[in-house]
Amino acid sequence: MKRRQLLQGLGGFAGLQLFAPSLSASARATGSQGSADSPILVVLEMSGGNDGLNTVVPFADDNYYRLRPQIGIRKDKLLAMDEHFGFNPGLRGVQRLWQQGDLAVVHGCGYAKPSYSHFNSMAYWHTAAPNRGDEFGWMGRVADQLAPSRREEMLINVGTSQSLAVKSKLHTPLVFDDPNRFQRNGWMNNTADLQVENTDEISANQAFLLAVSESAKSSSSRIRQAWNDYTPGADYGVVPMDLPKVAACISAGLPTQLYHVAVRNNAFDTHVAQSALHQRLLSYVSDAVHGFVSDMQRIGQGHRVVVMLHSEFGRRPMENANLGTDHGSSNIMLLAGAPVQAGHFGEVPSLVGLQDGDNIQYTTDFRQVYASVIEDWLGVKANTVLNGDFTRLGLFG
Amino acid sequence: MLANRGKSIWLVGALFATLMLPLAHGVSPLDLSPIEAARWNATHAAHLASRAGFGATVDELAVFSAMSPTEAVNTFVHGVPKSQTNDSQNQFGKNFQHSGVFEEGLDPFPASRPATTMLAKKQGHALGVAVKAGGNRPLQPVVNKFFYWLRASRLETDRVAYWWANRMLASKHPLQEKTALFWHGHFASNEDKVRDYRKMLQQLQLFQSAGLGDFRQLLIGVAQDPAMLVFLDAGVNTKDSPNENFAREIMELFTMGVGEYGEEDVREAARSFTGWSVRGLDFYVDAQNHDAGEKRFLGAVGNFDGIQVIDRILAQQATSEFLASKLYRYFVQDELSVAATQQLGQLLRDKQFNVGEFLRILFLSNDFYQSQGAHIKSPVELVISTYKKLGLSQVPGVPDFNVVTDALGQRLMHPPTVAGWSQGRSWITPSLLFERGNFVLDVVFPDIGFIPPDRFPPLVREVANVQSRLREGMSVSAATRPTAMLTDNQMGGEMAQSNALADRDEAFNTRLGSMRGWQMALERVKPIKRDLAKVDLVAEVITAKLTSPEQIVSYYETKFFSVSLPLSVRQALVTFLLDELGTRDIGAAQSYLEGPLRKLLHQMLSRPEYQLG
Repeated sequence: MKRRQLLQGLGGFAGLQLFAPSLSASARATGSQGSADSPILVVLEMSGGNDGLNTVVPFADDNYYRLRPQIGIRKDKLLAMDEHFGFNPGLRGVQRLWQQGDLAVVHGCGYAKPSYSHFNSMAYWHTAAPNRGDEFGWMGRVADQLAPSRREEMLINVGTSQSLAVKSKLHTPLVFDDPNRFQRNGWMNNTADLQVENTDEISANQAFLLAVSESAKSSSSRIRQAWNDYTPGADYGVVPMDLPKVAACISAGLPTQLYHVAVRNNAFDTHVAQSALHQRLLSYVSDAVHGFVSDMQRIGQGHRVVVMLHSEFGRRPMENANLGTDHGSSNIMLLAGAPVQAGHFGEVPSLVGLQDGDNIQYTTDFRQVYASVIEDWLGVKANTVLNGDFTRLGLFG
Repeated sequence: MLANRGKSIWLVGALFATLMLPLAHGVSPLDLSPIEAARWNATHAAHLASRAGFGATVDELAVFSAMSPTEAVNTFVHGVPKSQTNDSQNQFGKNFQHSGVFEEGLDPFPASRPATTMLAKKQGHALGVAVKAGGNRPLQPVVNKFFYWLRASRLETDRVAYWWANRMLASKHPLQEKTALFWHGHFASNEDKVRDYRKMLQQLQLFQSAGLGDFRQLLIGVAQDPAMLVFLDAGVNTKDSPNENFAREIMELFTMGVGEYGEEDVREAARSFTGWSVRGLDFYVDAQNHDAGEKRFLGAVGNFDGIQVIDRILAQQATSEFLASKLYRYFVQDELSVAATQQLGQLLRDKQFNVGEFLRILFLSNDFYQSQGAHIKSPVELVISTYKKLGLSQVPGVPDFNVVTDALGQRLMHPPTVAGWSQGRSWITPSLLFERGNFVLDVVFPDIGFIPPDRFPPLVREVANVQSRLREGMSVSAATRPTAMLTDNQMGGEMAQSNALADRDEAFNTRLGSMRGWQMALERVKPIKRDLAKVDLVAEVITAKLTSPEQIVSYYETKFFSVSLPLSVRQALVTFLLDELGTRDIGAAQSYLEGPLRKLLHQMLSRPEYQLG
């Protein structure tokens, strides 16, 4: 039973959601790709290594306060979650999602032989190939399964540069930062560039540039139109994390099912004096995600949209003497949205018996979460994307 | 190189490495023998200028073509001897002109606004400003000063970037700047975290002065560089709490590459670097906080300090190969076999890690002259080389250099992470390709709606809102309430936490401080000159004696492009120019030729092929 059904007596959002159409499992599985009802996944990457232990805080575990005498968050400062965990004080929006039954917390996510390098570990998460890597990203590979021949707008990546996660064999990801700038500026009758058929032999780099150029031309006006037609219907907070841009695309009915956005520039790399900074960063993410989920409900798309949040690793459970934390391994993941089965998933890792330099042993392979999203939400056979079988977690009702 | 796509290549490369290793012995896959002097021509000279510098003007090209290859390469590696230049006439040879925004008390700068106000509450003053004894908002002057320095340092950093860009464009030793740009991406520090333009400038000057010399000296210089110490938290790396950030990155990103060391090596290196700290703009060793105990590092045991750790790292074969192949990718081309990596590592070791000598061999080699068009220009290369080829002697103020390079994905002094910028194809996305064309448009048809970002900060509308409400006579509390709360309640009544909780501490008001900080900074930071690009395309057509549309298109193609345009594109461009001119007779069209030529140039330079160098 879904948590929200338990909560329906509370009224408000919990009640409203019962009227929202829900996406039947068969509709998802048959995957009418790109149709008005196909499922959508938004990945929000928290780069830099979010400190999961100070995000969803195990206040009932004395070891937590033993490892973090200075930066451990006292129970009375935490936002209520349940009898074992509390939310970081910055997570008011996420707490609301939890109370509405729209939030899943997956514990102990990681992989064997973890890398403590931001860039390597993130590449492993992007490719879903720990300690190996892959030429293409996991979302790119999902797109290749969803549409086996080249199509525009299969993947949208908001950002200044393309994430490895969306790199696809068949499709050119649509990458933009500011929708208003996503156009070729012209001069009088000189707006369009020259349309020519090319028959000369060209280099690989030239072919790459031409393909990107084609993608840009074909999508530019649609993206700008989507952005101009859209008015945010919820408060996304002071740093909206590009989620209003995603909302605009969904609102405009773009066929895209895969979106990638990020908290950029390793922001979560909190080695020094982390408490105030970390809380502030979390409040941005939390406000943005809550605003986005609410906005999706408002435009009747809540049943189609799932947000998945992750970092490249967690941080070490033991604080350092600079009131910060160093690179760690296992971490929580969050999934938000009406279709999500609310609650705790994965085994909560132990804070005793730390290993590999006082790190938390992972209990859930992050690819189990990917597999759940790929197969149970997007309706694609997970092992065709992940090159292996991973036990799914029942994250969707 | 390490992020995004660059990373995936690396990972796949590493996988192939294990498979290919047995084949690699005794093979020299790169032809590093010098190019024959007899073969040297203008195309080679142009290629050298574009890679070892930022391109060349028509006049410069004539000079380089007339030299022997050895002379030309030496000119780039060693620069023009001082006696032969008239640098005194060149304003950009001068040192950076400070606005004078720094004051005592601002360094060390606390990590955050909360850290600043906590410090002020504890000791009664912070940032050189006293807490008010009583009255309204006693901490407000401290908060104002905090925001002042954030803004002033950022704006002054933009001036440093302009100063550097002008050196790239006008220097008689452009390889020095090109190499400094390489090190800026390699030893990447970001002003957003360093929060002190003086430290950023000092780091840049290290790259400029030591970038072509001995890598050991450079690496030690970087390890003791205040900006780097702050950026990687090394300044707080103490005996009781070794901070691993710097120790990890020096091995992973600066020297050996991941996989060549273990986690224990990271911890032991961090211990060795303990006590390395910064006071103002100076490095010092805090002996009290140095862990002098025994360490086990990369298979050796000893009471290592930071210098000994660096020497141990430099003795690893992986270091020479990692560094040599990264230099090769930057200066020559992206694709590189494992065997070639070994060959280049050997070359760097043979040259005792002297970067200039290593590059001299590369720039002379036959291999180098086979790499034309195999490189995707970085945004800074694109912008500076475009200006250079347009014959500009200074970087225009419109469009703003920092806004342009930011939009293109390479804002100087703000690399995205410690891994620097990914090179190659990661420079190109659909929207970045548009931005590249739009940059050219902004140069040849300047935007009359241009607003200087260093005078009217456009990205902080909320700050301007606060000011206008204060001017209307609202109270501070009312004026600083988030705009969202003042407008109608279309948000469904659910206010985001970050908005709702703003400024509950009545000892100060953050939004007021943010606004006041802007005012104070704008008052002090010198404005950037806003000259437009002075382009005269007609004069060039006359000088070059171009008499037909075909000749003009072909002239621009030779001058600006590293790959030849497809025939169909060339024909379409000729047709385009003909339509604009209304005649084939260039002489007859001379009085109105400038506009059509600029439109043609925009068409050409916004083409995908122009992105290749």
